[in-house]
Amino acid sequence: MKIIVFIDQIVSTQVKLQGVDYFDPSKVNEDDLVINPTSKNAIEGALKLKDSLEATVTAVCVRGLKPIKALREAIAMGCTDAIEIADEILYTEDPLLLAKIYVDVLEKFGDFDLVFLGVEEQSTSSYAVGAMLAEKLGLPSVLYAEEMETIDSGFQVGHVLEGGRNIVTIPKKALISVSDSQYFTPRYTSMRGILTAKRAEIPSWTAADLGLSTGVAGKEAASLQQVSLTNIVIERESYIINEGEPEEMVDKLLAKLKEDEVKLGA
Amino acid sequence: MKILVYGQIRDNLLEENLLGILNKLSEVFQGSEIYAAILGSQINNEWTGELGKHGVKKVYTVEAPELENYLSRPYVKSMLEIIEKAEPTLVMAAGTVFGEDLIPRLAVHHGVSCAQRVVNITLEGEDILFHTPVRDDQAMKITKIEGVIKFATSRTGAFFENENPSGSAPEIEKVEISFDADDMVVKHVEVRKAERTVNLKDAKLIVAGGRGVGGKDNFQILKDLAELLGGEIGATRACTDVHWIEETYEIGQTGQSVSPDIYIAAGISGAPQHLSGVKAKTFIAINTDEGAPILKYADYGIIGDLLVILPLLKKKLE
Ligand SMILES: Cc1cc2nc3c(=O)[nH]c(=O)nc-3n(C[C@H](O)[C@H](O)[C@H](O)COP(=O)(O)OP(=O)(O)OC[C@H]3O[C@@H](n4cnc5c(N)ncnc54)[C@H](O)[C@@H]3O)c2cc1C
Repeated sequence: MKIIVFIDQIVSTQVKLQGVDYFDPSKVNEDDLVINPTSKNAIEGALKLKDSLEATVTAVCVRGLKPIKALREAIAMGCTDAIEIADEILYTEDPLLLAKIYVDVLEKFGDFDLVFLGVEEQSTSSYAVGAMLAEKLGLPSVLYAEEMETIDSGFQVGHVLEGGRNIVTIPKKALISVSDSQYFTPRYTSMRGILTAKRAEIPSWTAADLGLSTGVAGKEAASLQQVSLTNIVIERESYIINEGEPEEMVDKLLAKLKEDEVKLGA
Repeated sequence: MKILVYGQIRDNLLEENLLGILNKLSEVFQGSEIYAAILGSQINNEWTGELGKHGVKKVYTVEAPELENYLSRPYVKSMLEIIEKAEPTLVMAAGTVFGEDLIPRLAVHHGVSCAQRVVNITLEGEDILFHTPVRDDQAMKITKIEGVIKFATSRTGAFFENENPSGSAPEIEKVEISFDADDMVVKHVEVRKAERTVNLKDAKLIVAGGRGVGGKDNFQILKDLAELLGGEIGATRACTDVHWIEETYEIGQTGQSVSPDIYIAAGISGAPQHLSGVKAKTFIAINTDEGAPILKYADYGIIGDLLVILPLLKKKLE
């Protein structure tokens, strides 16, 4: 069984960049770049099957300033191998274009069974790539998976649903987008994994390798066009206490609440 | 201009976010015709009637056993057929799990992209602008879609319904669609409904916990504080997923919607899916991470360990 995981690299939410600065490469350090948390959930989904079904897992990164870093980490987690797609002309802000690039990656890759990816909360925030890719490939799919188990005909998958969880079955050749859940909690990298990752040769494919030009995968080809990107300013005066012993902090909070006539409780 | 909305039915009712979308659409696109599509195994007249009341002129219905539960293929197939008949310029759905599954797929078939989870729609000349918060709601991206038909979903909770709708009964057009085995490769097994044993809607104070609570037993700390303050507890999906707390306490898009006077968020990062279910007068956050998005929404915040802060707070309030 061959599994492909498409991962995104993002600027960590732990760094102190705010708003639009996240999207400004000149403000970003290499150290700030991490695998999108839900991409890690997706890797975990694939690795569980690698263990139980003797599958190979190939991580592919198209979106990121330093994809190679994310891919080494993916291998350190246990992925069999990885492919970097790096080319300045590729425009990945439009989910339809990103889905198209993924289709071409899969075509060049050859035979595959399962495709995993994570929810795009922290990356494109488009929430559309998984569904678009599945539709383009004509693959049965399930989005926002929270748990899965192998059954004779393929997989039984539970996914996020308003008011609970929805359970469906999908065939063996399918696409699964994964959300943050206990089942998909990513494993840590192992010492052995880190060593393997260091030595791993990661091929890098360009747009030309995929037969893509600016006309079809560059910004000019996007049907979703960005008009503006601005910081959201919340007009709320936040009183944040970030110094002092815990007891002092609590006292400060209570004093301030009293001053503002906010009553805790009845 | 013609607009088509996907009339999602949830728990035998019209999806509540739909009414907000209809209100927004009639505000922004004055003079346009709004149509709706309802798919299901049995269509209830009350749904179509309610859509009419909220300004929908015509409802396309597809009734088939294969549509009993949402599944991408039969739903996409039906909607594509309806789009062909209705010839809309804009197709919208509520940004529920199923709405978000449907819209991008329809867009693919029309060769265009889509905008998901929009919180505002505006017009600029000929262009329809979609406003979408990105990166944990830190920035607002405004986009437009090139293409004859635009596809979008709204973020749940973004729009408010018209309290005094005055529309009349809509025209109904039944559409026949046949499905084959290939449409049904993904099979519905069951919906595991979260048991709603506690109603948090009327709670005046909620002490809500997230993954930062760290374990089942620690929820007792939140319960103790909530009890002292005469409030309720709440949780993120991250906590109900691991069964640290009963599912009934989940707050957000897929949990309960709450509007307390005071919301104490402890160990919660502030995912939009969680926050879309919270409207509080006073927001207090306790988090170890100074960069946590939730702090932007907090009126008051303490950067610290909730396992230390909450018991102290309780002690001082006793
Ligand atoms: C379609 C969809 C629908 C969803 N619907 C919902 C929904 O309705 N409701 C919902 O809640 N989620 C929902 N989610 C999940 C949501 O996206 C987030 O994954 C979830 O809300 C995160 O929960 P959290 O804040 O508890 O966890 P995390 O994001 O992991 O945050 C934990 C926070 O705790 C802090 N922390 C850690 N230790 C401590 C400590 N000792 N003291 C204080 N702070 C600490 C950390 O700094 C961090 O900020 C949905 C997801 C999808 C895909």
